[in-house]
Amino acid sequence: MDELRRTLSELKHLRRASIEKDMCTHPGVIGGLCIRCGQKVDDQSGVAFGYIHKDLRLGNDEVARIRKRDFKNLLRQKKLYLVLDLDHTLLNSTRLLDITPEEEYLRSQTHALQEPLKGSLFRLDYLHMLTKLRPFVRTFLKEASNLFEMYIYTMGERAYAMEMAKLLDPENVHFNSKVIAQGDCTQRHQKGLDVVLGHESAVLILDDTEPVWVKHKDNLILMERYNFFASSCRQFGFNCKSLSELKSDESEADGALATVLEVLKQIHGMFFDQKLGDNLVDRDVRKVLKTVRMEVLKGCKLVFSRVFPTKFQAEKHQLWKMAEQLGALCTTELDPSVTHVVSTDAGTEKSHWAVREKRFLVHPRWIEAANYLWQKQPEENFPVKQTKSQL
Amino acid sequence: MFFHIVLERNMQLHPRHFGRDLRDKLVAKLMKDVEGTCSGRHGFVVAITGIEHVGKGLIRDGTGFVTFPVKYQCVVFRPFKGEILEAVVTMVNKMGFFAEAGPVQIFVSNHLIPDDMEFQSGDMPNYTTSDGSVKIQKDSEVRLKIIGTRVDATEIFCIGTIKDDFLGVISDPGSTS
Repeated sequence: MDELRRTLSELKHLRRASIEKDMCTHPGVIGGLCIRCGQKVDDQSGVAFGYIHKDLRLGNDEVARIRKRDFKNLLRQKKLYLVLDLDHTLLNSTRLLDITPEEEYLRSQTHALQEPLKGSLFRLDYLHMLTKLRPFVRTFLKEASNLFEMYIYTMGERAYAMEMAKLLDPENVHFNSKVIAQGDCTQRHQKGLDVVLGHESAVLILDDTEPVWVKHKDNLILMERYNFFASSCRQFGFNCKSLSELKSDESEADGALATVLEVLKQIHGMFFDQKLGDNLVDRDVRKVLKTVRMEVLKGCKLVFSRVFPTKFQAEKHQLWKMAEQLGALCTTELDPSVTHVVSTDAGTEKSHWAVREKRFLVHPRWIEAANYLWQKQPEENFPVKQTKSQL
Repeated sequence: MFFHIVLERNMQLHPRHFGRDLRDKLVAKLMKDVEGTCSGRHGFVVAITGIEHVGKGLIRDGTGFVTFPVKYQCVVFRPFKGEILEAVVTMVNKMGFFAEAGPVQIFVSNHLIPDDMEFQSGDMPNYTTSDGSVKIQKDSEVRLKIIGTRVDATEIFCIGTIKDDFLGVISDPGSTS
């Protein structure tokens, strides 16, 4: 009788276990096996997370579940997510065969790869490259890591990305399992937050290239490009001497990274502001970013002169939109409330009006500078030249 | 689980190796070819312990190569579903952790980690209980149960769990032993 009872309970246990296994929704697959029940799964649905493990795929529900749980965890630590681009944002690389004669002196100035914490110029023979880290980058990473969980997201190949991560983070503290490379993108030539395990409402992106972030423009902080090597300058069509050829560099204390760090601290402070009352989970860092941006040119009313091609719809121009994002009011007609005339030619009617009425007359680069430096710049630094007019 | 079994293999030898040391060269080639490989049936071949028998060599037509059937004893390692193993943690992230038991790599996802253990990110990411008494981080030793295996030519990959009784951390890397 006892034997029978024991067999029945064993059978029940087995039945329960097999039902559990049949009911498994296979939230994710690694190496062809379900991460929850261990069965072989052939499913190719969901998103590949090759940067965490080469054979890992996660279903959309699982990604949502992880994002939610991780977000709560991060909020407790008072942190947000920060996605960092590599090239021209945190560093600049050049191929050894692209080095110009004036850059030859750099070959003897490289630091040993075994001592990545010293110095900022490295030679990677197996990749045939020279890499220069942007000034202030180590301090930037150290301070940002107190406020953000950081990811690297590059359009370079994985091997390159991992080498750069080793230079920036030799102790593998910041970017452990968080280096996303070109092969991880789900769409060609586009970066996406779908492979980042964090809520979009809590992610900020630092990148020098806007077109790759079409779907996430609101999370993007555009960085001024870091072109140290001559080959980079050529790549972007600049015919002047590069920083390396001039034996100079971006300022450490005033450079782009130092500036953007202050902006990040400001956004972080505003996000975690206790006085706002509402639930942290409902807050959106994109709104905070927009608010901070709108402060830069607040109170300015701009009129453009000889900036847009004729018959071009002014409101659609990139500069107009940039100025509006920075908090300025843009208009096409002059009126007494206009504060700045943005012009490329000091001989136009509108330019003369500005001088006559003692308003500011500035070159369009004044707007771009405000965009990169997050501060209204002194107008006298952006004078407008008089081109040979037809009069 | 480890097994000590006898396997057989046909070894091809180039005529340049013929001579006084033929048998030694054959054994050396066998070791180079077989140790460190995996098969679905036997698992991972850890080491060859002895040669049981070397058969008569057959010359292959057209080439000078000679094929010898070799019977050898070896230690193999093969994980089984349901087996309980001890492993060392190699990496911890928000998905779970990776551990190694010899040549076998095991992944334990956070679905199969007890619910009271939370992921803590930082310079030493870990899973810790709410009271901090139990911690799983890199180099921790854990006892886990295998719930799925996959073998290919060069490696064995498993899914494991620590959600059952008597599974979990064996020792803390930080503690004195």
